[in-house]
Amino acid sequence: MPVGADNLERLEEEARREIAAAESLQALTEVRARYLGKKGSVAGVLRSIGDLAGEERARVGQLANATKQRIEEAVGERRGALERSDRDRALDAERIDTTLPGAEEPPAGHLHPVTRVFRDMVEFFTSMGFSIEEGPEVETEYHCFEALNIPEVHPARDEQDTFYVEGGNVLRTHTSNVQIRAMTGRTPPFRFIAPGRVYRHDLSPRHYPMFHQIEGFLVDEDVSFGDLKGVLYAFGRHLMAREIELRFRANHFPFTEPSAEMDYACLLCDRQGCGVCSNSGWIEWGGCGMIHPQVLENCGIDSDRYQGFAFGMGVDRTALLRYGIPNIRLLFEGDLRVLGQV
Amino acid sequence: MRVSLRWLAEFIDLPTEAELVERLTLAGFEDVEISSTGPDLSEIRVGLVRECGRHPNADRLSVCRVDIGGGELIEVVCGAPNVAAGQKIAFAEVGTVLPDGTKLKRAKIRGVVSTGMICSDRELQLGDDHDGIRVLDPEAPVGAPLPEVVSIGERELEIGITPNRGDATSLIGLAREVRALFDGELRVPETEPPETGAPASDAIRIEIDAPDDCHRYVARIVRGVRVGASPDWLVAKLAASGIRSINNVVDVTNLVLLEFGQPLHAFDLAKLSGDVIKVRRATAGEKIITLDGETRELCTEDLVISDSESAIALAGVMGGANSEVGDATTDILIESAHFHPSRVRVAAKRYGLKTEASYRFERGVDRLGIGRAADRAARLIAELAGGEVAAGSATAEGAAPSFTEEIRFPTDRSNKLLGTALSKPEMAALLERVGVRCTDAEGEDLLCAIPSHRTDLHRHQDLSEEVARIHGYDRIPVTEPIGVLRGVERPRLWRVAESARDALVAAGLTECQTLPFLNAEWLEALQLAADDPRCRTLRLVNPIREEEPLLRTTLLPSILRIVQQNRSRQLGRIEIFELGRLFRTDGAPSQWGGDLPRESLSLVAALAERDEKGLWEAPNSPPLFFKLKGIAKKLLNQLGYVAWFPSASLPPHLHPGAAAALEVEGVVIGSVGELHPDVATAFGLDLGCAVMELDLEALQALPQREVQFREVSRQPSVRRDLAVVVDIDQPAGEVLEAIRKTGGKDLISVELFDRYAGKGIAEGRTSLAFRLVFQRFDRTLKDEEVTKSTDRIVKMLAHRFKGELR
Repeated sequence: MPVGADNLERLEEEARREIAAAESLQALTEVRARYLGKKGSVAGVLRSIGDLAGEERARVGQLANATKQRIEEAVGERRGALERSDRDRALDAERIDTTLPGAEEPPAGHLHPVTRVFRDMVEFFTSMGFSIEEGPEVETEYHCFEALNIPEVHPARDEQDTFYVEGGNVLRTHTSNVQIRAMTGRTPPFRFIAPGRVYRHDLSPRHYPMFHQIEGFLVDEDVSFGDLKGVLYAFGRHLMAREIELRFRANHFPFTEPSAEMDYACLLCDRQGCGVCSNSGWIEWGGCGMIHPQVLENCGIDSDRYQGFAFGMGVDRTALLRYGIPNIRLLFEGDLRVLGQV
Repeated sequence: MRVSLRWLAEFIDLPTEAELVERLTLAGFEDVEISSTGPDLSEIRVGLVRECGRHPNADRLSVCRVDIGGGELIEVVCGAPNVAAGQKIAFAEVGTVLPDGTKLKRAKIRGVVSTGMICSDRELQLGDDHDGIRVLDPEAPVGAPLPEVVSIGERELEIGITPNRGDATSLIGLAREVRALFDGELRVPETEPPETGAPASDAIRIEIDAPDDCHRYVARIVRGVRVGASPDWLVAKLAASGIRSINNVVDVTNLVLLEFGQPLHAFDLAKLSGDVIKVRRATAGEKIITLDGETRELCTEDLVISDSESAIALAGVMGGANSEVGDATTDILIESAHFHPSRVRVAAKRYGLKTEASYRFERGVDRLGIGRAADRAARLIAELAGGEVAAGSATAEGAAPSFTEEIRFPTDRSNKLLGTALSKPEMAALLERVGVRCTDAEGEDLLCAIPSHRTDLHRHQDLSEEVARIHGYDRIPVTEPIGVLRGVERPRLWRVAESARDALVAAGLTECQTLPFLNAEWLEALQLAADDPRCRTLRLVNPIREEEPLLRTTLLPSILRIVQQNRSRQLGRIEIFELGRLFRTDGAPSQWGGDLPRESLSLVAALAERDEKGLWEAPNSPPLFFKLKGIAKKLLNQLGYVAWFPSASLPPHLHPGAAAALEVEGVVIGSVGELHPDVATAFGLDLGCAVMELDLEALQALPQREVQFREVSRQPSVRRDLAVVVDIDQPAGEVLEAIRKTGGKDLISVELFDRYAGKGIAEGRTSLAFRLVFQRFDRTLKDEEVTKSTDRIVKMLAHRFKGELR
């Protein structure tokens, strides 16, 4: 039988069919051997063309080689497809339940909310060049009150709800004692913050006997209440992470003159009034003012030459508002179901 | 302070309530609020009577259908003769709580169901009228709460006054403040009394024996008064300020106190013995029965008013019962005085008597207002109780009080302090508003005359506050401070503490903070020896809980209590820590000097666990002790230290067989261990618990270190595992250390990876498996070199630890 183009076409057609039908790499290898192996069909064709005339032999030889190459390509494609599906099967077999919880090893620990807020505050003030100062929690009445213009015989003392320690000292009622300790013996200019723990003899739904304050003060020759406002606005923006509105209300602190209390516009209701701000639109933030000249003098600083500002605010309330914790007690009762959330 | 707004309006025209509250708040008054007295009628609504017909079974009753804006008409039975269709009325729905406290129910009245009530004045407690219902303004919106359309009770101003503003604790004081903020004309009441009697100074003589305590004493006399009930207007004014009516004479003294802020006292002249009023110190042990009926034993620090025989009042605080004005009183002596603030304050505190009088004296009264207040009282008493006012008054002067009459006010400095750019005239205008009279002085200065009622203004900074207050703090421009740039200092203790927190949180622990108060029993529960320095505690005079009066000298009780509390919340795994100051009086000097306690920052961590493994937890996690030891090691490593865990000097709260001290650079700075079972029991713990204590103060005192880099080798390493059987009580740490030393410098690491006793190992013996890694920097190690080293180790183990290779 003369070997011709028709034969080769048929051969290729059959090969393609078988290649497509090969369901495994093994079967495919067998198909390939049948057609392209040394004893395969295409080799047979090539062997048989020796009988043909020169021109015809060349033509058929070319055709046969082209057919061989196309079959080889078809085998290659099929092999690729089979390998991919083998891999897919293997991957499928390795499928895991990704809805199982992520392992926390070790389980996540938590900083106390007050620590977190303190860090945030300290980060801001140190970036503004305020150094950290600390002072005693058991304090003399002099440093806690008298040096701050709060004499024993003054009604302002009644506002303090002081814990007294046997022997005559007190638990500090504010971090302002650090003003006295840090300023005494130093020459301005200087700027300090005093983060710390303070105590008031008050256990009621909204108060806890222990809470935290951050005090800041800056003394220089030319520093004004306007500068104080500037620092507090910048601080507020940092702390609340957005534009804020502050309100300064005149008030009385014996250790500042002029004195003010500051409120920030409630972030939850934008001054419309809500439960968090007791419908006032404002949230009390702390006290501030220009350091009283007598306080500077008590620390040996020339009050004619120097003036300065001071401010103090509660830390706990910020923590409560930031994390949506409803009651200050929850911060200090050590309930891991609470502390483990923040 | 609380005052009736209508009364305040007698002294000055008021702005709107909202403006008043806003400006007073910004000007330094606290918690300013305006509210209504009278019944709470917020649930009562405006209703429209759509239909009104006869009750089918009762002539005098009507059946009405009322619209309260809810869509449906409500049918009620009404007994009022004046009810008619088309009226706007006050309607109470079923369920409303009426002012008398009853809750309105559905009722069947003569066969007709009545679902609510049309209210009369009496039912609303707005008056006594019960003859008919209250008919409202025809314009009142249907459905609105009644308080929006009917004025109920008095409008009252509640206002918090800071301790420096004694001058504002009166109607006139508040009116002055309103004038400063809004302008207006102050209307001061007439004070001139009609004098008809003989001169007061003929009847009584004043002697001030304690001139420093009493600056001025004025006595007016009114004879022939008829003591009786006060008129309604007077009772109402006092009631608005929370003062109970006593009788017309006493009420007048209280009224004048509210008007002028000057406390007064009325004595029954007939009850005084002798013709002298003395202002003197009490004698030791002297007794007085005060008007509240209490007998008080006085001391020489107390200032009293006395007649020729005995004390008749505790000056500035409370009168005596022996001279009380009663129904039978006809002649009275009115006292108006200026007592020293601290003298009054000390007495008021000592006897726990905070009165309207002491409150004002403590804050300082107007030194020039003494006579005026006495005049006003005499005038009103004559008006209300009759009687003849004696001519003039008996007076005496003590030492002049300290006050500031004039302040030189440098307006340029004030601008510099405030950050404002107000001109001299602008500053003067602002100060004039608060009654400070300004005259021009040289340069930028003003000479400021301080009104006598402003006892709080002494320095130019005080005037700057007045300027800021009236000008408005909000109008001070926001600026930024300009100054020298300096490096920020952060105390080392602060940094050490922060680093410790981070290490513990990274290890999975949660930070707690607790009150630093201790119960003495908790210290006992820790099994501390009697001479343990932690038993030397400071005690609070006024603890918040009686049973917790001590300041803590250890953080252990609070952390153990928190473990216990969380356990009772059914948590199975508790990993916590706390940083806090200890208050030590064990002889360590205070870092703050003086007689203060040493405050040492300390750290305590606790791991407690019940054997309830979670999904992803390793089935064989190490015992708590080792977990905590590992955490301690890592914490100290991060600070650049190597931790040692010697088993000497263990604290008594730890299990003696499962604890170690914590040593760094030769200094013991803490401990780590399983809790002693007795301590665990004492704190109610039913689960395994390990605790670590770390003295952060001692730690920060050590030389500062950093973790140091060690060269890494490019040469291959050789690993050998070695299992050796030793006596079971042989500390593995010693074996490990001996291997390290014997291995030579090519042995770069030794790790204990297994410890086993049991099947296959002789009784009383245990197998320790070590992983040894050998490596050189200069070349690859030869196998025989490693073998030589391990042989040496094996020999050493056999020799020193009776160790046999397994």
